Amino acid sequence: MTKRALLLAVPLGMVAAAVLLLLTRPGSAQGTGQASAAQMDGFKAPVDVDTAGLPGPVQPLFYRHDVHAGEYEMDCRYCHFAAEVSPSAGLPTMSTCMGCHILAGAANPEVQKLRDYWNERRPIEWVEVHRLAPFVRFPHHRHVNSDAEIECQDCHGPIEEMPQVYQYASLKMGWCITCHEKEEASTDCTVCHY
Amino acid sequence: MANGSDGELNGSGMNRRRFLTVLGAAGGGAAALSGCSGEATDKLIPYLVPPDNQIPGIATWYASTCRECPAGCGVHARVREGRVVKVEGNPESPVNQGRLCARGQASLQGLYNPDRVRGPMVKNAGGAFEPISWDDAIARITERLEGVTGDLIRFVTGNEAGTFDRLVTEWLAALGSPAPVVYEPFGYEALRFAGQQVFGTDRLPRYDFGAARYVLSFGADFLETWLSPVEQARGFSESHGFRDGSMGRYVHVEPRMSMTGMSADEWIAPRPGSEALLALAMAHVIVNERLVPRQSDTFRVQQLLDAHAPADVADRTGVPVETIERLAREFVAEPSLAVAGGVGAQHEQAHVTAAAVNVLNYIAGNVGRTVSYGADLNPAGSSSYADLGSLVRAMRNGGVGVLFIHGANPAHAAPAGTDFAGAMAQVGFSVSFARFWDETAVHADLVLPDHDPLEQWNDFEPRAGVYALQQPVMRPVFDTRQTGDVLLTVAQQVGGRLGARLTAATYKDYLQQAWGRLQRRLRDFRPFETFWTEALQHGGVWRDAPVRTVRLARSVAELQEPATWSAPQDGFTLIAYPSPALYDGRGANRPWLQELPDPVTKMTWSTWVEVHPETAAEQGIHEGDILEVTTPVGTVEAPAYLYPGLRRDVLAMPLGQGHTAFGRYAEGRGANVYAVLSTDVTEFGGVSHYAAASLRHTGRHEYVAKTEGKSRQMGRGIAQAVTLAALQHGEHGEPHGGHAAPVPEHIEELLDEVQEAQDADTKHGDYAGDVPRWALAVDLSKCTGCSACVTACHSENNIPTVGPELVRRGREMAWIRIERYFEGGEHGEPLEARHLPMMCQQCGRAPCEPVCPVYAAYQTPDGLNGQIYNRCVGTRYCSNNCPYKVRVFNWFDHQEENDPAFAFPDPLHWLLNPDVTVRAKGVMEKCTFCVQRIRGKQNEAMLAGRELQDGEILTACQQTCPSDALVFGDLNDPTSRVHQVSRDERSYHVLGDLNTQPGVTYLRKVRNVGVEEA
Repeated sequence: MTKRALLLAVPLGMVAAAVLLLLTRPGSAQGTGQASAAQMDGFKAPVDVDTAGLPGPVQPLFYRHDVHAGEYEMDCRYCHFAAEVSPSAGLPTMSTCMGCHILAGAANPEVQKLRDYWNERRPIEWVEVHRLAPFVRFPHHRHVNSDAEIECQDCHGPIEEMPQVYQYASLKMGWCITCHEKEEASTDCTVCHY
Repeated sequence: MANGSDGELNGSGMNRRRFLTVLGAAGGGAAALSGCSGEATDKLIPYLVPPDNQIPGIATWYASTCRECPAGCGVHARVREGRVVKVEGNPESPVNQGRLCARGQASLQGLYNPDRVRGPMVKNAGGAFEPISWDDAIARITERLEGVTGDLIRFVTGNEAGTFDRLVTEWLAALGSPAPVVYEPFGYEALRFAGQQVFGTDRLPRYDFGAARYVLSFGADFLETWLSPVEQARGFSESHGFRDGSMGRYVHVEPRMSMTGMSADEWIAPRPGSEALLALAMAHVIVNERLVPRQSDTFRVQQLLDAHAPADVADRTGVPVETIERLAREFVAEPSLAVAGGVGAQHEQAHVTAAAVNVLNYIAGNVGRTVSYGADLNPAGSSSYADLGSLVRAMRNGGVGVLFIHGANPAHAAPAGTDFAGAMAQVGFSVSFARFWDETAVHADLVLPDHDPLEQWNDFEPRAGVYALQQPVMRPVFDTRQTGDVLLTVAQQVGGRLGARLTAATYKDYLQQAWGRLQRRLRDFRPFETFWTEALQHGGVWRDAPVRTVRLARSVAELQEPATWSAPQDGFTLIAYPSPALYDGRGANRPWLQELPDPVTKMTWSTWVEVHPETAAEQGIHEGDILEVTTPVGTVEAPAYLYPGLRRDVLAMPLGQGHTAFGRYAEGRGANVYAVLSTDVTEFGGVSHYAAASLRHTGRHEYVAKTEGKSRQMGRGIAQAVTLAALQHGEHGEPHGGHAAPVPEHIEELLDEVQEAQDADTKHGDYAGDVPRWALAVDLSKCTGCSACVTACHSENNIPTVGPELVRRGREMAWIRIERYFEGGEHGEPLEARHLPMMCQQCGRAPCEPVCPVYAAYQTPDGLNGQIYNRCVGTRYCSNNCPYKVRVFNWFDHQEENDPAFAFPDPLHWLLNPDVTVRAKGVMEKCTFCVQRIRGKQNEAMLAGRELQDGEILTACQQTCPSDALVFGDLNDPTSRVHQVSRDERSYHVLGDLNTQPGVTYLRKVRNVGVEEA
């Protein structure tokens, strides 16, 4: 999908996805099983998980990447919409969540939490998981579009199987350099440090 | 270019400031270098609703208009995650064509100034200000207005030509009140008066410096504050910059060599106040020797010219007859332009100077060529100081019941004897719409802060045919409200005739109605939305104004022999000149402008008295001695600065300092020179900026806060120059890099080996096709020393200001400085000044690199001297080894609130560029040719699947340079502009004999002297 098409697709997709979810999963709530036949052959997120026992920081709202990206196979860029066009991958706006959840997942208590946030016009204060040292510049667009065909998972790990996201790679310089050397990308300091 | 945004970030009621603060962190905001310790966990805060036109991490640009002075330059505001982080010139604006001066760059510090009035305030019975709600405040105005008759309501504004001006006029007319007093301290009353007298029009014509091959300035500082400095600098560099073997010539006539005068090929210092005689004598020569075809109406001035033969005025001006005759001949030999009327030359007879210069231009046939009426500057005009004086008298006599003040600070920027503040006490009720706690606002009863120009809807008409729009580029920082909206709300509440006449619900509606009328006037018949959106995108609408022909008016016969300014026998003439950085003082609360070294003296954060070195020697005065300057109306104290660019009988002091209010950066700094200027209204209705003065040494001394090292080059050949005559004879000084002392062969081999090893180490991959060598070329024949680049660099690279105490210790943090050197000026030789922008030279063989023990300073494959902040351990060896002294060290944590050198008090830190690290204590930093811009453009090109274009990457200094003196690009690309410019015959490297092989090439300044003189 081209960048422009991707951007255009966001608002359209928002509606479409809501309708799709309604049609394919009538009455189902997030994480309560009962997936339709269409999705049975794919990854199936576990039903009950204990957030405290999972790696990664506990978030104010138990958002499940494994359900959205894994079971429903939603494209990462549906929410992280800027990854291809900007140094920053982009954090989904609350309205993106509500595009579906204004209808979908009513029975789920976490979805109810989301709706409370939305009704109170309060943003969710997510806890940062992947943290680069502050003096490093990491342009997402440059990597996502590179010839090396880097997938999101190469750095972020198997996000689609993580009920709670944790930092997968060390994100330390040696880790960066290893890949840069392998792909013959520049290892000049000022490529990332300025 | 995005358009038409309200700057709305989201549709929510979320607390905006908190939102922006956290968003900075979420969007990879200005990262602080915090060393190796584990960082606290950050929060990522999403938007509720995505804002239009914004992608996190990508800048959005909005077109608007700079309102720092009445020049009205177009700007592009760079917005990241909902906040402005940089302003740059709008290339489409016919005024500034993409360039901006230091004051324009610093407009951000007005927006984010920590000393802004943060909400409506009212003075209580105890005389202290307390907050009030907007509704209550407006109700109070309504109540007061109902209690007085219309003739007791007065309004003072600054020059706000455009819709706001019309709203105020209409508002007052509906109330039956007199028209507003439009007070600009630099109102150019003398120019308007002289235009009226000589051509029968008080309009300010447009002066075309680009078309003039010969410029003669009678004290007009046209590169600093006079009229439209950026536009004029651009034109001047086009005509006066050396190109293809020729260049224009510029002669400056003023008792003091201003920054503008420093660009002159010849400086003539006549007796103070005698400039008019010189101009008339030149006209005499032109007419009598029939050097140009005689105009039919020359007879109107014949008698006047007859009385001013060169021999008659030589004594009184102090300029020899031969010089006058030579100037006259030179003046008509090429398309020429004479200008007068700078504030620094505004003495009692300034209108005669301006009138004589008008006559000179007319006689030489320049009117209609380089002086064009039609595209008049500030067409709405402004009031004079005399009008302000009448208002003050009315205020004292109880003739003013309610006073409104917007965009003017007459309590500071007017001769102290005017006592505007004192008169405000006699007014029943005064309302200030000031954005800052200035001297006038603190005396008001009600302060209703206006939006910053970057937060408001507005327009401005800097010259006829140029309609510049302003749009809010972000949501307001504080609880301010646009004054236009306040006036309209008041109109609705007062009702009656006022309410019936002004029915627009908001000022934006009012503005759009005005633009609807403008659209019809311009015969544009598209839908209004199309017209409006297009105007917003481009920053306004520009049309050529029809040229008007002017002839000598009958009243020119009234032009009187000027009474020459007479200084007291043993005394001095004090000249109060406008500060290039602080203007009339309105820039004094911007730390960037305070710390910007004055282009002439290199002084910062203060006021000084310029004294000629020989005078100083006679009187035993040394630099920094505190002098008391006394004029008939008062006394000021300031440290001495010894300046050879003055007549010996002249003292000079800059305006702009000495604030008693106006926030932490302005208050209590230096002296207000307005305190020693007379309140007497001159014949042309203005203030005389000359005063008879005496000098007394107080016996005290201070170490001045200046960045100047030596004012002489001591034979180092740093800023080189060559004469046009020599160039035409094929002599262009030392050949390129020819200084280099021979390097022994074994050393050269070693150096090559080191270089090769270094290159091999760093050349992994292929970053942008063939490896470039980034380089900069600086044409000294264009650089005027204006220092816009210095402020632009501060803005782009998050450079902190350090304050006067640290400047004294040589710890200023600027990455680029303008070095100023004097040549001659002794033993009867003419004085010459040279400017040289000095930034990191990005040496090919950099002395800083091998001495770094931790490889923080190293050579990048693309030819930069990289500086890796997180590697730096602060040994400062690199700085010790740098022959150019362009590395600066962080002695303090400038972004830490508890640090003594804290430079970013809330909300000033909002202007930090999120693409550049804020450096911490103990780290060395320096110019890297805006490496963040290089990488940004490389990423853009890569994403678009194309090669980088030459000229696509602009460094911040180059982008803003009003005279286009800097060229950046890839030296390895033979088709690039920088490659071609660097191979110019005038090119040389500073300290090239050190074999540093710099990436910065300088082109010698060319002085247009000795070409055809006798």
